[in-house]
Amino acid sequence: MIQLSEAPRRHKLRILEIQGGEGVRRRLFALGFHRDDLVEVNSQGILRGPLLVKNLTADTSVALGCGVAQRILVEAAADES
Amino acid sequence: MKVDRPTIIFLGQPNSGKSTLFNAIAGHKALTSNFPGTSLKHTHSEVNIEGRIFNVVDLPGTYSLNPSEPAEKVVLSHLFQEKPDLIINVVDASILGRSLELTLELLEIGYPMIVALNMVDLAEKKGVQIDPGRLEEKLGVRVIPTVAAHGRGLKELLDAAFFCFDHPCPTQAPRWSGDVEEEVARLAEKLPAAVVIAGNPRFTAIKLLEANQTFCLEVLGESEPALKNELDQAKKRIEERRRAQVYEVVSAERHHLALKLGEDSSRVRRGKALGWEQRVDSIIMHPFFGYPILVLIFLAFFFLIFKIGGPLEGRLLAPLARLRVLLGGWLGTGLIFHLADGLLQGVGGGAAIVLPYFIPLLFLMAFLEDLGYLARAGFLLDTFMHRIGLHGKSVSPFILGFGCNVPAVLSTRILESPRDRMITSLLIPFIPCSARTTVILALVAFYLGPVYALGFYFFNILIIALVGKALSFFFKDPSPGLILEIPSLKAPSLAAMARKTYLELKSFVRFAWPLLVGGSVVLSLLQFLSLDRILNSALSPLVVRGLGLPQPLGITLVFGFLRKELSLIMMLQALGVEYKNLLTVISREQILVFTVFVSFFIPCLSTFGILWKEGGKRTAFLSVGLSVTVAVAASLLVRLIF
Repeated sequence: MIQLSEAPRRHKLRILEIQGGEGVRRRLFALGFHRDDLVEVNSQGILRGPLLVKNLTADTSVALGCGVAQRILVEAAADES
Repeated sequence: MKVDRPTIIFLGQPNSGKSTLFNAIAGHKALTSNFPGTSLKHTHSEVNIEGRIFNVVDLPGTYSLNPSEPAEKVVLSHLFQEKPDLIINVVDASILGRSLELTLELLEIGYPMIVALNMVDLAEKKGVQIDPGRLEEKLGVRVIPTVAAHGRGLKELLDAAFFCFDHPCPTQAPRWSGDVEEEVARLAEKLPAAVVIAGNPRFTAIKLLEANQTFCLEVLGESEPALKNELDQAKKRIEERRRAQVYEVVSAERHHLALKLGEDSSRVRRGKALGWEQRVDSIIMHPFFGYPILVLIFLAFFFLIFKIGGPLEGRLLAPLARLRVLLGGWLGTGLIFHLADGLLQGVGGGAAIVLPYFIPLLFLMAFLEDLGYLARAGFLLDTFMHRIGLHGKSVSPFILGFGCNVPAVLSTRILESPRDRMITSLLIPFIPCSARTTVILALVAFYLGPVYALGFYFFNILIIALVGKALSFFFKDPSPGLILEIPSLKAPSLAAMARKTYLELKSFVRFAWPLLVGGSVVLSLLQFLSLDRILNSALSPLVVRGLGLPQPLGITLVFGFLRKELSLIMMLQALGVEYKNLLTVISREQILVFTVFVSFFIPCLSTFGILWKEGGKRTAFLSVGLSVTVAVAASLLVRLIF
């Protein structure tokens, strides 16, 4: 189990848990990020900038600040192709 | 159902193309409209379609009916206030699964609804083919495929809407997993009629379960203690069984149901073919190349406006000058000449000096917006925004500010934290809006060269950074992290961009141009009665001694509060010269100081109004104090340097 902010780029990952305050969690749920979704980190802004995260399950992309990304716990998805 | 003047509400997630669809339907046919910059973020129009009159309401995009930002709260309150006869739920077909989450939530309310399956072309490009018939069957409401940007499917959508006005269109709320459904049903049964929203106990029960600690729940605790107890028990049972908070459980139910619906009604035709959008996206979002590209885009933006506007302005001014000479010959120098001259300056100045820069700027802004670049700039600039205590979500209001500060201040409603809204709203008046860009281009670029104008913009950005930094010392609470959706890149449609430009232009002609004309006529009158001298000599200590400007310019600065371009148009009038002879009465340095002062001093009347409305009296006056201080300091600095 690793934090999304530490996850390798362009690898299929599965969301295990979304931690953090209620506000942040509600926001992520509303944007379609849930437990068990498959995601992929595609890019990062310079100087520890935000992560560009693609939700493969819902086919959407979201920019997440590092602080937010730290609160999302993921694991490498088993069915990596 | 037969209604006299039915109300249709357009609702959808952000970037679903909802406003494009709304404009396509209401844009040409609107009888009365509120334009951005008046008072409302949402737009009301009365539309006449095939002889029937409708109220059409466009609400801001929202991801769900559990609002976490003020823009989304507007949606919720209006949804229940308007009691719509029909909801048109605009759905982004290219991300069907996620978009349907809001659709399911809307179905829970039970208002008549049809789904506009928008951007089906984009979905097809992605290799996803959606079967609208199948989706219709699953959702139990009409589903009409549309491509709003090209006007496809509008007729069918309107036909479906007409049908729902004349016939009953019942909806069926989606059902969830047994255990959750059981709790919802149990709670719904016990609700007293007084607390039921929209006549729907099930919807009310769901909202009670998933709402966060709101005022309503507190009130409920006091007025209906038994019900509050029942609610707490239900929450506890769900949370124990699912090992998650209720709001997560409910949201996950919708999420999975929506994904399943999406999968069941669409077919993926081919594998991941990399379209041009993705290829372009990987370059403009690149952690390294993204930044030079961002700078290049803004440079190109600036040069295009200047290269189009400059020559056009020169060409339009010549006949205006000739007309003025003719006018002098006919009317002499009396009152009538002064009135006619003021009128000419206002009308002509608007047409020859403002519009040549204003129209290309509007068009290019529409291009950047429709392309989806604003969110991308937010991603790239997030790091820099942190330096001034904000984050990437404030970038889009800032960029909108280059068009007009008023919608920019309104768009701060997308920011979740009041602190971020406050700082962003205070910084927006420093962004050179189209009016100030006109002043900068028509004075600085025209007389000192485009390099000076560019330098002016950099100086301006520096000032914003400094003020932002200073403000973040006073507002210390940490900003919540960035969560910003990056919508897929879309090739903007010329028609949609032209429509947007046209609507903005219409609002300029209606609201701003009369101010320009009125201001010019008033100045003419003041000059005729020699009243301008009194005001000018009163302002003389600041204008002449402080800023080193000619005394007659004092009055133009005062009028700049109405519209920033007015200062420019009145400047020529006050100095009594033609545009091309300006340098005979004022030096290049003075032009620079004048532009700096006009740009920064006091937000214009409309911006002041919107700051007051959105942030309160304190914010509005704080902004005035801040801008006057910055304007004086910056002008003195420029005067010292040059």
